[in-house]
Amino acid sequence: MNILISYSWLKDYLKTNLSPEEFAKKTTTAGNSVEHIDDVAPRFDKMVVGVIKELKPHPQADRLRIAMTDIGSEVVQIVCGGVNLSVGQRVVVAVPGSKVRWHGEGDLVELKETEIRGEKSFGMICAAEEIGFEKLASGDRMIWDISSLTDAPAGTPVAKALGLDDHIFDIEVTTNRPDAASIIGQAREGHAATGEELKLATGSLQQAAFGVEFEEIAASRKLPAASFRVSVLEKKLCPKYEAVRLDGVKVGPSPWWLQRALLISGHRPINNIVDVTNYVLHEYGQPLHTFDAATLKGGQIVVRKAKKGEKIIALDGNEYELGKDQLVIADAERPIAVAGVMGGSETGTTAQTTSVIIESATFDPVSIRRTSRALNLSSDSSQLFEKGLSQEATRPALARAVELILKVAGGQVASQVATFEAKPFKAPTYRFRPADTRALMGVEDITDEQMYESLRRLGFGIDVNGRAAKVTVPYWRARDIEDPRDLTEEIARLYDYGRIPSVLPTGELTGALPDPVIVLERRLKECLRGAGFTEAYSYSFTNEQELSRYSSSTDQVVAIENPLSADQSLLRPSLIPTMLTTIEANQGEFKEGALFEIAPTYLSREGEIPDQSLELVVAVYGKDGAVAFRQAKGILERVGEELGYSFDVSPHDGDSRWHAGRSARVQGGGKTVGSMGEIAPAISKAFGLDARVTLINLSIESLSRVPAKGLIYEPIPTFPETKRDMAFVVADRVEFLQISQALRGASPLVHSVELFDVYRGAHVGEGKKSLAVHLALRAADHTLTAAEADTAVAAMGQVLVEKFGGIMR
Amino acid sequence: MQSKFQQFKTDFEAQLHTVADRLKLEELRTQFLGRKGKLAELMKEMGLLAQDQRQVLGAVANEVKTAVEAAFAQKETTVRAQEDAAAAQREWIDVTEPGSWPRAGHLHPVSTAIAEISDIFSRIGFSRVRAPEVDWDYYAFESLNMPKDHPARDDWETFFVKQAAGSRQQAAGTEDERIHHELQAASRPLPASPDMGRLVLTPHTSNSQVREMEKGKLPIRMININRTYRRQSDVTHVPMFHQFEGLLIDKDVTIGNLKGTLDYFAKAYFGPSRVTRLRPHHFRFTEPSFEIDISCGLCEGKDSAMCRLCKAGWLELGGAGMVHPNVLKAGGVDPKVHGGFAFGWGVERTLSMKSGMNLDDIRLLYKNDLRFVRQF
Repeated sequence: MNILISYSWLKDYLKTNLSPEEFAKKTTTAGNSVEHIDDVAPRFDKMVVGVIKELKPHPQADRLRIAMTDIGSEVVQIVCGGVNLSVGQRVVVAVPGSKVRWHGEGDLVELKETEIRGEKSFGMICAAEEIGFEKLASGDRMIWDISSLTDAPAGTPVAKALGLDDHIFDIEVTTNRPDAASIIGQAREGHAATGEELKLATGSLQQAAFGVEFEEIAASRKLPAASFRVSVLEKKLCPKYEAVRLDGVKVGPSPWWLQRALLISGHRPINNIVDVTNYVLHEYGQPLHTFDAATLKGGQIVVRKAKKGEKIIALDGNEYELGKDQLVIADAERPIAVAGVMGGSETGTTAQTTSVIIESATFDPVSIRRTSRALNLSSDSSQLFEKGLSQEATRPALARAVELILKVAGGQVASQVATFEAKPFKAPTYRFRPADTRALMGVEDITDEQMYESLRRLGFGIDVNGRAAKVTVPYWRARDIEDPRDLTEEIARLYDYGRIPSVLPTGELTGALPDPVIVLERRLKECLRGAGFTEAYSYSFTNEQELSRYSSSTDQVVAIENPLSADQSLLRPSLIPTMLTTIEANQGEFKEGALFEIAPTYLSREGEIPDQSLELVVAVYGKDGAVAFRQAKGILERVGEELGYSFDVSPHDGDSRWHAGRSARVQGGGKTVGSMGEIAPAISKAFGLDARVTLINLSIESLSRVPAKGLIYEPIPTFPETKRDMAFVVADRVEFLQISQALRGASPLVHSVELFDVYRGAHVGEGKKSLAVHLALRAADHTLTAAEADTAVAAMGQVLVEKFGGIMR
Repeated sequence: MQSKFQQFKTDFEAQLHTVADRLKLEELRTQFLGRKGKLAELMKEMGLLAQDQRQVLGAVANEVKTAVEAAFAQKETTVRAQEDAAAAQREWIDVTEPGSWPRAGHLHPVSTAIAEISDIFSRIGFSRVRAPEVDWDYYAFESLNMPKDHPARDDWETFFVKQAAGSRQQAAGTEDERIHHELQAASRPLPASPDMGRLVLTPHTSNSQVREMEKGKLPIRMININRTYRRQSDVTHVPMFHQFEGLLIDKDVTIGNLKGTLDYFAKAYFGPSRVTRLRPHHFRFTEPSFEIDISCGLCEGKDSAMCRLCKAGWLELGGAGMVHPNVLKAGGVDPKVHGGFAFGWGVERTLSMKSGMNLDDIRLLYKNDLRFVRQF
């Protein structure tokens, strides 16, 4: 939550001569992050008060007029389309060189002396929204009449005439500190951060300047005790409710100082009554609401839950249907406000209002938040209430509001203050030990007294007792200070975290061993990247449609109760569907590819957290499925080689999601660790794939439990190898694994058998294939003679013929 | 005889003059200087002369031989240079043409960032651990000192899992599902207490804190990097993102130690000139709590008013704090004896701040558009 703090307004409560930058730096260090400082005056550079001396029609344009305007140094001619221009009027004149926003839209534009339809125009007479007051829109084709706002003479810089020489701090306030989301809150913080003097009337910070006087008025026996009756039916949801009636008020526009304060703080001026409540909201951080007393039925204010189906038209003009858990303020008949969120339009103040009831209350933060979210209705008030406000804050704010309304709208206090309080506030106290704080900060040079002084500056009461102190929490901090530990933070932030020395932790090392799954995950990624694969990275979400394309049931699939959208309503039980979707999305741009993803998959388990095992999916896709398969097989072998696994790949026993003739089970160390193969044509079609896709799907968890054999050194042969090639034809379905095992078994001299060509086609006949292999032959103790090699090759040939009916070529 | 040597020299020089390539040059060498060449012949002839004549002639012969060989060497250099120049023309390669590449693989930038972050912390003794990303409310919220009605526990902030209805399904027939079941059999034990609450998609990585403490081994220095989930999706938010969480539990741990650790990371990851600052902040599970800022690498704090990247010379990195005593208690650690700090922040944010990767729409990270990933 961010709040705009006018430095000049802040100075109503903090006596300081610090420059805005110095102040910002100090208060930021103490935790009130000033994210931006807006220097207001320069926005009004080269803008002066102008007085219209004469108005003439524009000879070339019906909708324009020529305004002879006194800008102090001279009377200049300005062409203007404003329909509300009049002689003697005070206006804002932006002279050439100033920057304005045309009609309050688009970027700032620097004005130049110009000619409009043949008439010279020296600058421009501005509408409010053109000079940064978007919240004060002047109305269609109207200029901003400032006659009633200032009597500064022509030529006075606008910033001076309208009191705009100010700096605005944009301050981030953390959610636990709604007490700091106000002028007074920031004055208190500023006092603590800078040591500058806090200016609050009684010094106790508890009361507004007008407070004492107000207490006297409000308690006056001359006033009726109850011109309206307050009954709070929900004491938990509304621990405090106060209201007072003012009669004889005159609703109208606020004086400029009030409008100005609201405008530069981001509020929209509406009328003097509403403006005062917003002013006090900003100044005290306590939301207020005003009802037109005449519109209340039955002279009653009831704080209760809404009845089912009850409706209210809120001040935003929309109708809301209320739920039975939602707190409302009602009169005898109907809801008149969504408590703490927004008032109803039927009971709000209007131009005709003469009697108002001002509400200052405290509501349960959770209830406010849930109501606001449920109705999708939020306001400055609800945003404060939902963070939790102190019940002690209602009276000073009420006093301040009464003070200001009497000042800007007249009238008089017409009732005593009606007060409901579930139970009286009791300030929490904690036992605080400075030594603990010193140890936690890691700082030796801060004394007990310095710590106590920091707490005092923040409004805490200190009662020292030996090496500890009883600390009393001020009412505005009673919610966020929950533990003596919280006091350390208060002290440390005022000490300045920047001064705490930065020291790497010492102490014992943990001796923790690396997690094998994490190690494997990383090695796999690097190995696959090195082999030219690109990593996909997907959301963990899937949906029923994607799973059904993959013929996957939703049994055991983890479902999200409150998904953002239907297509992200499940957690994926497999990485394959997402991978196929990814290929489909990219096949237009990339006709072939090699991808992988490593991520957890999720399966629910009764009474346990879902299984979240890490898996790997590798995809090779392209026009030719056999090529893709071989590439995938190759990467599997390479991964095995690099990571020290030997994978056994054997034909799959049939899962209809795999291509029946091109799929296999992958085993490592005798255990199944996954599958590989081409995706079944039906699945491919369901995903709209143009390319043939071969996948490898491995469980990283399973793999991590397979003992890696590591890389084994084999002595470099002393005697050279003899290399021979061999080509032969066998039946197509004879597996190469069988052949290579048979060849190796045929002679002890065979060191390796490497397949380098496979041919199927007319030359070898139907149902046959021709294979060609490189053979490496060697003996450990001598160089082979040609005869020895020939004998070995012949033996292999014989095996081929005998075992597989092979024909040598 | 002397004139024969002179003639030899004249002949040689005349022929040398006409030679333009190495082939001819070699022929010339054989003809004049070779083992059976003209010079050798003359020398042989000279050998037949009387000794006094030989002595006189010897000087001449030497002079001629030296001169001829020098001339030859010079010519050889010239011819070689000419040939090299010709080759340079003939074999010219446009060096600005792109080279040929082995097929390039690409890791997703988030993977790369995770690896870098893990490495940095491992150097100061923080080991990466694994924690569930779908976890009980207890670990994600309750044990972290977050009250039941905390906004993060509301349905509009956090994803919740539908409680599984009915009994546990028998393993279905397919291979993949069987593998899953094998895995389940070997997986983690049931939680200790039945009152673990709902299942959530963890909105932060802090669920690893109490889980790590429950392992019962102190001190702790751990990093948990995981997917995290929040109900948000727009140009600056993704519903799934990554956080990394650091936790140190030991005796006599100070705020200064937290600063030291964060400074080390900032300098190692972003560069030695960067500094961090702690700003007071608020989190339920730490006290005091901080927001960590890092000095802006773009404007270096000099022209921060105009900087598009930072706020007044600082960039927000993440959150940190001293572990709240209630969290320690939840993890079975005695806050009177042990203390610690924790920190956590977004991997995507860290990544984008380092590389200046200016993504207009952060959702691009997880769209699996290969045109994106192939840039890394």
